[in-house]
Amino acid sequence: MRHEWMKFPFHILFHPYDGYWDLKYENKGRMSVAMAILLLMVITTSLMKQFAGFLVNFNDPRYLNTLDDLMYTVLPFFLFCVANWSVTTLMEGEGKFREIVIATAYALLPMILINTPLTFISRFMTNEEAAFYWMLNSFGALWFLYLLFVGNMTIHQYTATKAVITLILTVIAMGIIVFLGALALTISMDMYWFVYDIYLELIFR
Amino acid sequence: MKTRKALLLAAIISLSVLTAAPAARAAAPYEAYTYNYYSDAVALPAPFLPERTLDGAGLGVGDFKLPNDFYVTKGGDVYILDSGNNRIIVTDEHWNVIRIIDGFDNNGTPDTFGNPNGIFVADSGKIYVADTDKRRVVVLDGDGRLVKIVENPQSEVLPDNFEFAPLKVTADRAERIFVVARGVYEGIMQFNDTGEFLGYVGTIKVQPSAADRLWRWLATDAQKSQMVLFIPTEFSSVDIDHKGFVYATNIDVGSTETIKRINPLGKDVIKRFGHYPNVGDIRYRRFGRESGPSKLTDIKYIGDGMYVVLDSNRARLFTYNDEGELLYAFGGRGTQLGVFNTPVAVEWQKGKLLVLDRGKNGVVIFRPTKFGRLIHEATALHYNGDTAASVELWKEVLRLNSNYDIAYLGIGKSLLMAKENKEAMEYFKLGMSRKYYSIAYKRYRREVMQKHFGTFMTTAIVLIAAFIAFRIARRVRPGRSAGHEA
Repeated sequence: MRHEWMKFPFHILFHPYDGYWDLKYENKGRMSVAMAILLLMVITTSLMKQFAGFLVNFNDPRYLNTLDDLMYTVLPFFLFCVANWSVTTLMEGEGKFREIVIATAYALLPMILINTPLTFISRFMTNEEAAFYWMLNSFGALWFLYLLFVGNMTIHQYTATKAVITLILTVIAMGIIVFLGALALTISMDMYWFVYDIYLELIFR
Repeated sequence: MKTRKALLLAAIISLSVLTAAPAARAAAPYEAYTYNYYSDAVALPAPFLPERTLDGAGLGVGDFKLPNDFYVTKGGDVYILDSGNNRIIVTDEHWNVIRIIDGFDNNGTPDTFGNPNGIFVADSGKIYVADTDKRRVVVLDGDGRLVKIVENPQSEVLPDNFEFAPLKVTADRAERIFVVARGVYEGIMQFNDTGEFLGYVGTIKVQPSAADRLWRWLATDAQKSQMVLFIPTEFSSVDIDHKGFVYATNIDVGSTETIKRINPLGKDVIKRFGHYPNVGDIRYRRFGRESGPSKLTDIKYIGDGMYVVLDSNRARLFTYNDEGELLYAFGGRGTQLGVFNTPVAVEWQKGKLLVLDRGKNGVVIFRPTKFGRLIHEATALHYNGDTAASVELWKEVLRLNSNYDIAYLGIGKSLLMAKENKEAMEYFKLGMSRKYYSIAYKRYRREVMQKHFGTFMTTAIVLIAAFIAFRIARRVRPGRSAGHEA
């Protein structure tokens, strides 16, 4: 079992219930693998925006920015994890924060596996075939959502209904966190300028 | 010290160079632009430059007084409708006054116009005047003699107290008259050659907004009866092309169909194939000065599928090709030559653009620059199917402005015709046309496949053979190696 850490994410892909159970109770998930998957996701997103065929690539090349891709992948990822942890802690979820991070990261794998070759193939597509591109693209996204749902259900030991409700609440909690973050930022900026103004008043006296 | 002097000299020279550069450009008091694929305004070299402005005194006929409309015939003759003075000034191509029509003989009694708003001159020389305050359309022959008067239309679709106040007029070759009248929301009024009212064409659809609908839903019956009806906006101008299709504009805030091309059946058949609707400006301020969408108050079909519209909101001109793609836009408000106070009408005189300015009581003449002329010529060639000939012109356009997407499309289409698919792909990509890129790519892919079919199949067969050989070798070898080991 030399490559267990490498094989396990693929096991989760096709046997999510079994896989996530092992992740939780057999302690098979690895944080380093999870972070590697997250990094791959960033790279995939960036590659797709840059190199997908002209017919399916609607990104304005003037505004492509890999750092933005990094930010807009990694930040929402951890935002989701934090929000999910906050919600599930209150709702008798059994998952630890570590498990949530690993489970969420492993769920991203289908999007990486589908989108990377798709980026390459899309360069050889015509308009009529672009439908397949969008179909496969959405298929990857749906697979991701399915894994996310199963992962959530298994690591928190929820029923299906409760898992769905928790996911919806997680999205709401993400909104609240962003709002509070923006609020805190604005207020702290105001406070900073207030102190700075007083400082200016004092030195100009 | 020496270096300092040299530096100073260099500074002076660079300063003079810097100030000299805009001076050459300042010939146009406006900035020309078009919109690219991303709906950003892209600056263009000026397609037209103001040549001079002509007023009544310059023509030797006394000042104009609030002129409302003018018309230029194919031959270049100009008919200026000097509304405030109730007269028509006719000049030839070179602005020599031929005659002044300030009245006509109405079956024995002398008659005059009453604040006319629109004029049209047919190829036959007949002059159509929308005589607004006298509630009639007057048709005169080329010498100013009365042909007929269209007034007091009778029909059961018209209300009993209907007041006919024509604003703009045009006519087709069969002498059907199309009239835009004040307070008529049903469409453009159509009359036959004997002046009989036929009905409306080009009805504007009404689409109440979501807020309107919500209010209506909440209102009681008594309140509803107090509400204004959802009535469409009026048309603001009409023109006609050589095929007898009526071009019309209307001022409908929020609509993407403010320019219409109405076929003889009364249906709107204009092409809207650009990346954005042909409605004038697509990016504008929401509040404040010069805000809101364009108010298109005049339209002129200038031939070869192209038409120019006048935006009275920001005093700009927009020229579109037959596909509905914006060729260029320019103009603005101001007091200099080339910008307008109250532009009311736009005309086309043998390659020159003329704009009638009611506020300045004069006509501004714009002559095309090299860039403008190239665009018009290339578009005309393209429209007439001579794509191969248009390529050279488009290349010249790109040399003057490499951001001109339509030029890339023009070259791409010509390459596609010539079956140069790979090059065509390149141009369609630059012109941001996914539709044509896909066509070119499909052909190119097939071409490559056909060309390399032999190589491809040979490689495939060799690979399959190698694979089979490998499998056989593997199956044989364990036995042999087992034999060795034993």
